[in-house]
Amino acid sequence: MRTYLLIVFFLLYSPWVSATGSRLISSGGITSFEGSSGGGITPWALIAGYGAKEEVQGSGSLQLLDTGEYQLKTVGFAIGLYDRLELSYQRQTLSVSSAVVGNVFNVLTSGTVDSAPGTDIEQDVVGLKLKLWGDAIFSEETWAPQISLGIQYKQNLDFETSLPLADGSVALPDQGIPLLLGAKDDSGTDVYLSASKYLLGVAGGNNLLANMTARWTKANTFGLLGFSSNDDDDYSLEWEGSIVVALSPFTAVGAEWRTQTDRLDGLAKEETVNDVFIAYFPNKTLSLTAAYVDLGNLPFDDNASGFYLSVTVNL
Amino acid sequence: MKRYTINPVRYLFVVILLLSSAGGCSNLQTNTSLYTDIGGKEKLEKVFGLAISRIYNDPILYPHFKGVPKKALRKKLVDQTCALIGGPCEYTGKSMKKAHNERDVTEVEFYRLVEHVQYAMRRMGLSYQQENLILQKLAPLKSDIVYQNGEGNPE
Repeated sequence: MRTYLLIVFFLLYSPWVSATGSRLISSGGITSFEGSSGGGITPWALIAGYGAKEEVQGSGSLQLLDTGEYQLKTVGFAIGLYDRLELSYQRQTLSVSSAVVGNVFNVLTSGTVDSAPGTDIEQDVVGLKLKLWGDAIFSEETWAPQISLGIQYKQNLDFETSLPLADGSVALPDQGIPLLLGAKDDSGTDVYLSASKYLLGVAGGNNLLANMTARWTKANTFGLLGFSSNDDDDYSLEWEGSIVVALSPFTAVGAEWRTQTDRLDGLAKEETVNDVFIAYFPNKTLSLTAAYVDLGNLPFDDNASGFYLSVTVNL
Repeated sequence: MKRYTINPVRYLFVVILLLSSAGGCSNLQTNTSLYTDIGGKEKLEKVFGLAISRIYNDPILYPHFKGVPKKALRKKLVDQTCALIGGPCEYTGKSMKKAHNERDVTEVEFYRLVEHVQYAMRRMGLSYQQENLILQKLAPLKSDIVYQNGEGNPE
């Protein structure tokens, strides 16, 4: 419902709402599926929205990813304060197909149960990002990046949610998919450091944005499959990068990657995530991004990839 | 038995990397002739003529320029930009820091001004690439323009 409200809101108002923030168009990036401003799959050092040092701006966002067996819907909002601090909240809903759930049961019960309805795994992500230093675009030294430190507190809401079978009975009570796959915790806190640089007039006179993020995390598949495992309860260091070329004031194309550490092994083996995207910024109120994302392996979907759509509305 | 497929994501990633590095090289050539490329002093005068008339009509920016004759401001901006993009000009005005001393220009005002200049460049027929190359030269001036009250921060 909230999703539809958001869509209706932007369809109705975006052409008439004049841009409120003062920073230059496209300089706020888009919204990643974890709610932090950035690319599609990784946060950047930029603060959400177009607010300058004297302004407070809000934005709402919606992301949809469909790999066939899995659909990820995320929706949320972010507030950028004085181009210094960003607060964000994102609700993620991962829909898991009945084929995948059935296969999970089949493995865990050694074939006693081999079919089950699909299910949803929900997760809340609360983010905080603090700009520590620099200005990604207007820096005195042309090479100097903007650097931000962020945290993402993630709470998986379906860690222990029982999975009913088709007849309504429960074979494995109080065990949600993350727990069944071997995850240890239902919540975790990611800490990341991002450096972003927006270079003017370098790619044949076009603008280029490069971002590098180092993330310390215990999450399995972003936390959607829980946190840690019985064998591995340590933080791991992950690397995330984006490179984007702005081909006009209104369009940009880019590519990203994000490493993951494999804690659960077997079914839930994790691989590096990649994507390519094209973003369209018709005005400061709206951005639309279409991407093709390759998540690598997800349980019973060893080539989980598909189209991704991300919408950000700046208020 | 692993199925081998070309990963379209990785392929495009490489293409974008190549594109951007190729762009980096061509930049070296264009830089020296940017002034002539855009149409020299005549074009700069048109760009800043339009930008200044927009700035003077902007209720937020105008107070900073009260009492400054348009012509004098235009000459300074043209000379300064001309010198920055490799033209045969010498900027004789005050340093940016001095010129904005005790002015307390906010970031909001700075970005508004940049947008007026961007608008004027587009309107006067500069390409998006030329616009970016000029902005590249002007961007480092921000820290000498914004909040020159000595604090570097809003109060």
